[in-house]
Amino acid sequence: MHIEKHPVLGRKLHTPVTIYFNDQPYQAYTQQSVAAALMANGIKKLGVSRKLVQSRGLFCSRGRCCSCYMTIDGEDHVRSCMTEVEDGMRIYPNMDDPEVRREIDED
Amino acid sequence: MKTDVLIIGGGPAGLSAAIETASRGLDVTIVDEASQLGGQLNQQTQVMRQLPSVYEPMRGFELANKLIELIKDCNVRQLLNHRVVGFYADGSVGITDEENVFPVKAKKIIVASGAAEKAVAFPKWTMPGIMTIGAAQTLINRDFVMPGREAVIVGSSDFAMETAIQLMDVGIRVKAIIEKQSGALAKEQEKVSELSRSGIPFYFNSFIKEARGNGQVEQIDVALPDEVITLNVDLVCMDGGRAPILDVFYQLGCSFGFQEELGGWVPQYNNRFQTDREDVFIAGNAAGITTQGPLLLTGMIAGISASEELQAISPAEANEMREALWKELGLLEYREVYSGRVKHLENFASPVLKDQFIS
Repeated sequence: MHIEKHPVLGRKLHTPVTIYFNDQPYQAYTQQSVAAALMANGIKKLGVSRKLVQSRGLFCSRGRCCSCYMTIDGEDHVRSCMTEVEDGMRIYPNMDDPEVRREIDED
Repeated sequence: MKTDVLIIGGGPAGLSAAIETASRGLDVTIVDEASQLGGQLNQQTQVMRQLPSVYEPMRGFELANKLIELIKDCNVRQLLNHRVVGFYADGSVGITDEENVFPVKAKKIIVASGAAEKAVAFPKWTMPGIMTIGAAQTLINRDFVMPGREAVIVGSSDFAMETAIQLMDVGIRVKAIIEKQSGALAKEQEKVSELSRSGIPFYFNSFIKEARGNGQVEQIDVALPDEVITLNVDLVCMDGGRAPILDVFYQLGCSFGFQEELGGWVPQYNNRFQTDREDVFIAGNAAGITTQGPLLLTGMIAGISASEELQAISPAEANEMREALWKELGLLEYREVYSGRVKHLENFASPVLKDQFIS
């Protein structure tokens, strides 16, 4: 749930944007982090741990713990707590390690 | 890129160091990985009363805005959404914009990297819905998002109590405060009484035995001294204390000392907030975990010391200002933190091998 009216700061959510999680549209507001915007829509599970495949979500919201890795606009292992939402952003959970090895001489 | 002073971290300490250096005509650059200056001040909605005499009492985010306004007047270069990732052989700082890495040659570096919250481990503590108190506070006050509806707080520090009150103010039901010690740890007892008055149970000598849930936390078992109770919650906020962030100091090859009162391992520094690498200064929570007023003072001292070495201020003037700021630090800082800091300085001045760690 978004906090429409904050007890100290008042109304701060002005510019709505649409983000896509697993290709489903959700409403968010500019300046929210991706992890926060998903939480506002009831999505807390952002990925799974690499070895025991356990659920992972936002933990520190400071970009230090790396518990909130997601795939955002085609880029793997992005810290979703440090990335602000953008209209039309496409977001997928982090279900395994990204493919980091590439053919460098494929011509 | 070249700069006189590179400040790593744009929170309260980094910003006050920037004001002290840039206002004396130095070329100053601030690098911060967030998209906004102010650090953790941005989500502090409580009023801060114990600030240095130059500041009126104000809310945390108001203080952030004030500091940002002050550095705007003196033209500080801002590298937001940028991170320091390492150092080149010639001493240049490697900074990335997440795509490329480029070198910044700085005459002096002030590191104000801040502190990180520590976790409290229990079975299934890594489940979604379980987070640090700082994360919960960021969600409600910066992102304007409800992290849950029914919560428990693990820990009873001032920060935990303040956050519990703020969570209640946005409509989250705080079901319990769980503390493994035999009493509340907060120094400001009014907040503890405020929470007790609103009917929130404090479970002392207690801890979370286990969390359960399908993909996110739904239930916890709390071990009280003589029984185990089960609570249905969708949010667990944990306060495991904070520790200085040291990555950059390791990379710079600074020496460290252990000082319990300052939060554990802390880079060594003298009364000028200068580390054993003479071109590197330290400020803020990185120099020892403390409260908002002292954070600003350490930034000011570091900024004045760096300005002095770059001849932007005379040694006599710098000494006089430093002395006054140290006096104020002694007044504003909690006594045990201040005495830990003094001990930390003494250990650096007259080293005893067992107290030191050189990376």
